[in-house]
Amino acid sequence: MNQVLRDKKAIAAFVVPGLILYTLLVILPIVWSGYYSFFDGTAGMKNWAFAGLKNYGKLFKDKNFLNSLSVNMRYVLMVTAGQVFFGLLMALIFKFWVKKFGALVRTIVFFPVVLPTVAVAQLFAKIYEIQPHYGLLNSLLAGVGLESWVQPWIGKSSTALGALAAMDIWVAIGFYSVIIYGALLDISNEIIEAAQIDGCNGLQLFLHILAPLLRPILVTCVIFSFTGTVKMFESALALTGGGPGTATRSLSMYMYDTAFTYMKTGYGSTIALVIFLICVVGSRIIRFFDWDYRK
Amino acid sequence: MTRKVLALVLALTLAIGMVAMAQAKTISFLSIWAEDYDNGKLLTDLSAKYKEDHPDFDFELELVSSDNLQQKVATLAVSNDLPDVFAYESGTPLKTMIENDYVLNVSEALRELGVEDCIDAGAYSFLTNLVGTEDLYDLPLGLNIEGFWYNKALFEQAGIEAAPTTWDEMLEDCEKLMAAGIQPFAVGGADQWPATRIINAYVMRKLGVDAMNKMAAGEMSYTDPGMIEAAQMLQDMCEKGYFGVGPTTVDQNTAAQMILAGEAAIIYNGSWYTQDLVAPTNPAGEDGIGFFNIPTVEGGPGTLTEYSMNCGTILCLSKDKYDEETADWLKYIVTNLGDYAMSEFGALKGYVINEYPETMSKYSILVAEEMGKVTGTSTWFEAAMSSELSNIAQVNVQSLMNGEMTAEEYAQSLQDVWDANN
Repeated sequence: MNQVLRDKKAIAAFVVPGLILYTLLVILPIVWSGYYSFFDGTAGMKNWAFAGLKNYGKLFKDKNFLNSLSVNMRYVLMVTAGQVFFGLLMALIFKFWVKKFGALVRTIVFFPVVLPTVAVAQLFAKIYEIQPHYGLLNSLLAGVGLESWVQPWIGKSSTALGALAAMDIWVAIGFYSVIIYGALLDISNEIIEAAQIDGCNGLQLFLHILAPLLRPILVTCVIFSFTGTVKMFESALALTGGGPGTATRSLSMYMYDTAFTYMKTGYGSTIALVIFLICVVGSRIIRFFDWDYRK
Repeated sequence: MTRKVLALVLALTLAIGMVAMAQAKTISFLSIWAEDYDNGKLLTDLSAKYKEDHPDFDFELELVSSDNLQQKVATLAVSNDLPDVFAYESGTPLKTMIENDYVLNVSEALRELGVEDCIDAGAYSFLTNLVGTEDLYDLPLGLNIEGFWYNKALFEQAGIEAAPTTWDEMLEDCEKLMAAGIQPFAVGGADQWPATRIINAYVMRKLGVDAMNKMAAGEMSYTDPGMIEAAQMLQDMCEKGYFGVGPTTVDQNTAAQMILAGEAAIIYNGSWYTQDLVAPTNPAGEDGIGFFNIPTVEGGPGTLTEYSMNCGTILCLSKDKYDEETADWLKYIVTNLGDYAMSEFGALKGYVINEYPETMSKYSILVAEEMGKVTGTSTWFEAAMSSELSNIAQVNVQSLMNGEMTAEEYAQSLQDVWDANN
């Protein structure tokens, strides 16, 4: 086997087909977008013309772009933190508290992951509803006497992004809890017992034993969650349509509007490149936390 | 000899085959309606009838969501792959298609076929005005008037005797409704366009029916005091609670049902609403919903016989794909569409109707009567806007309703987009 893998022809035979596909499907479109970002107008229409760096200059003066960037970043922070935190919490509950019906509980917690985004959004739209009838949330609030808290959750700029983030956290908790639970199972019970005999309380056990051992998987989860939330699109589209106003309009949604509704392919490509850069740089930053403590 | 016979037979087979191939025509239709719904059903039914006499003909419907229609058509147009027939938006989107020479000159085609007079004259002038051409480049698939629909029982309950004719009267009626514990308006703020229509309604009365066109053409500014007043009116009505709590979370279908169910009194809607009204499930009954045209605004030139009209989504034909077979089908469609739509759906589609059905619902008669009063028309708010401007107008109207943007800022946001693109 070693000999085969040292043979350059063999390497080529294994790598080249995949590389060609990857180049065609991933790298080429990125380069193409880069090329488009120097143009103005609609690709293929008469107004298509070279514009130099105009699109890049426009980017940082564009209020809508900056607003979408800010919405997107706040969303990433809230949702990534929420998904991984609650996933971890749920995994710890699975491991230490749920003794009976473990498989059943895990299945129920995982269930939202398999629901289509649009169905989840419809569900939450009903939960947050205020007109013509109070939805679940507002009914509960009114029921316990918190009438002053009743409000159009997805109809106000101040609450819409939070309401959307809550939905996306709820959907993904099951996914992250199962991944982290898997990693928890890998940690030998002897270590945990030893720590408990040494007199570790729950918090100490978590901070000094579990957290360091879970770090690689937590970093992976953060990267998953980060890349999933940077491209924020379908859940926002389905729940709020980016509204009210532009309160929940993400970069991807703005890119889509620009390229396909305003038909400004060049400027849309420029925004797409920014999203690409954020993904690359963001993942890189998160990887810094993945140092190997044994070295 | 045998060889010659064989060659002849083969040649004949080939020729016959080619003739057969030439006759077999499949018309592809890019639709936003499913085969069993609305205009999708209309065209599918008519094509099926046409197929009875033309067995080689076939009709294929491809469904696309209305949100994606413009993008899809634009992409297909650029890649020279437009379907024979497709649903599209009139106004600026169609104008772009005409300028780029993608769509068939329908007037010319109908003239050649000798069926030009099948299109209703009002619809003809309305559609050509929307794109500013003399010739027609699209076919109507609906002709609607818009205005306010109200729940008669709720008006009675609040002690309102007659539908308002001035905007001030309408506001007074809102106060009466509020006092009686009734939500005056329902609006589908989540869908955005129902909200901009209310601004449009005020603008067409305050500044005249052509104000929005003038603004798009740069002859008037979007920051005109009349426009700001209209935006302010919508915001004030929201603040006073006329639209209930959180109107930007309600979609237009829900809002429309709220009127029927008596949960709100008035809605701005088009005459396509009659489909809901005539449904046996309408809790308001056969005569429970009334209509009043947009009330007049003091000091404005608008009158009560000017209506906001809407042709809905229109039908275009690809210029490249147009051939004899399509022409023959087109002739059949335009000559039969009006009567068929009236007898089957009770709907006006913008074609000449030769035969009215004997029994028409009260609501269909109501619409027909209102149509008869029209002396001037205005289009919808975004008709003359570019797709970017239209998007901004709709997105920002939610901020305006929520009080997160002032009327001046709203008007300025429209002018800013216009300035950046002209």
